[in-house]
Amino acid sequence: MKAFFPLPVMALALALLAGCAQYENKRGVEVSWQNSVTQGLTRGASTRKDVLDLLGPPSQVIALDDETALYYLFEHSRGEGLVLVVYNRMRIDTRYDRAIFFFDADDTLTDYSTRVYAHDE
Amino acid sequence: MGARAGLAAILLAATLLSLSGCSQWHYSMGSPLAQLDVPRAEDRTALGEVLARLGPPQRVSASVSGYLLAWEHWHVRENALGFSLGLKGTDVLAIDWGDLRYKGEYLLLSFDREHRLASVSQSAWDSHGGGGRAIQPLFSFVDVLDSDDLTGSMPQHRWGSDLMQRLPEALNRESSPDTGEAGLEQRGTPEALGQRSLEMR
Repeated sequence: MKAFFPLPVMALALALLAGCAQYENKRGVEVSWQNSVTQGLTRGASTRKDVLDLLGPPSQVIALDDETALYYLFEHSRGEGLVLVVYNRMRIDTRYDRAIFFFDADDTLTDYSTRVYAHDE
Repeated sequence: MGARAGLAAILLAATLLSLSGCSQWHYSMGSPLAQLDVPRAEDRTALGEVLARLGPPQRVSASVSGYLLAWEHWHVRENALGFSLGLKGTDVLAIDWGDLRYKGEYLLLSFDREHRLASVSQSAWDSHGGGGRAIQPLFSFVDVLDSDDLTGSMPQHRWGSDLMQRLPEALNRESSPDTGEAGLEQRGTPEALGQRSLEMR
């Protein structure tokens, strides 16, 4: 009995010291470029003002001579961790929701593309 | 006597447990590029069609001849093993070992001023990113792993504050890959060379 005494106590101590962790980190422009929002945009007809009215200020503006591109980015990280004192493990998964819109010299939309990740992707 | 021996064993085990540990950090950034339908450069595909096939890029920049668009996927893995005799946050005889591996894919497309595909470049890697061992008797000065430059957030978040950086970085704005007008940069690119060398980081 003496020989087995420490084992259950040690197991209990380990169980008390163990834990888990979870965290979420979000950065960037709030996602508002779902298909239901952008389907009203038309290449060759919509303007930069239309896009800005719909989506608000972008993360980045890129200029090439008279052309411009608006880039929207939302960065979403999720972390899950296991803390067993002697062994600890953390897994962090980062996804990027993003949208890009190109405009010609007359501020008319020429090309665009959007991507929004589903929560379980 | 037996109870004392048991208590001593518990204390010894608890002390050892609190002194040593193994940690693993896994980072996954972006989505794998393998399933993307990458066009061929000789087809001179229109920008709109490429965006429809690949979705929005993660990095964009204007260039002298048109636009640069890049898609990327990274997986970084840190393994660390540590042992220290320090108590209550102090470091006494800290022994550390660490190892870093990273793998990823990068797809770079360039477009001319007519928004036609001009070139395609793709790479994939699975590399050892460094690591180290340390025995530090009194204080821990050195981290044996450093992956901050691989796991940081995207530069687009800092775009609006480019001119509010410290002076060497603000003066280098014309050459900075973070502006979207001076080319692109991969994660982990050394800062002491090339376009960032004048930022004196």
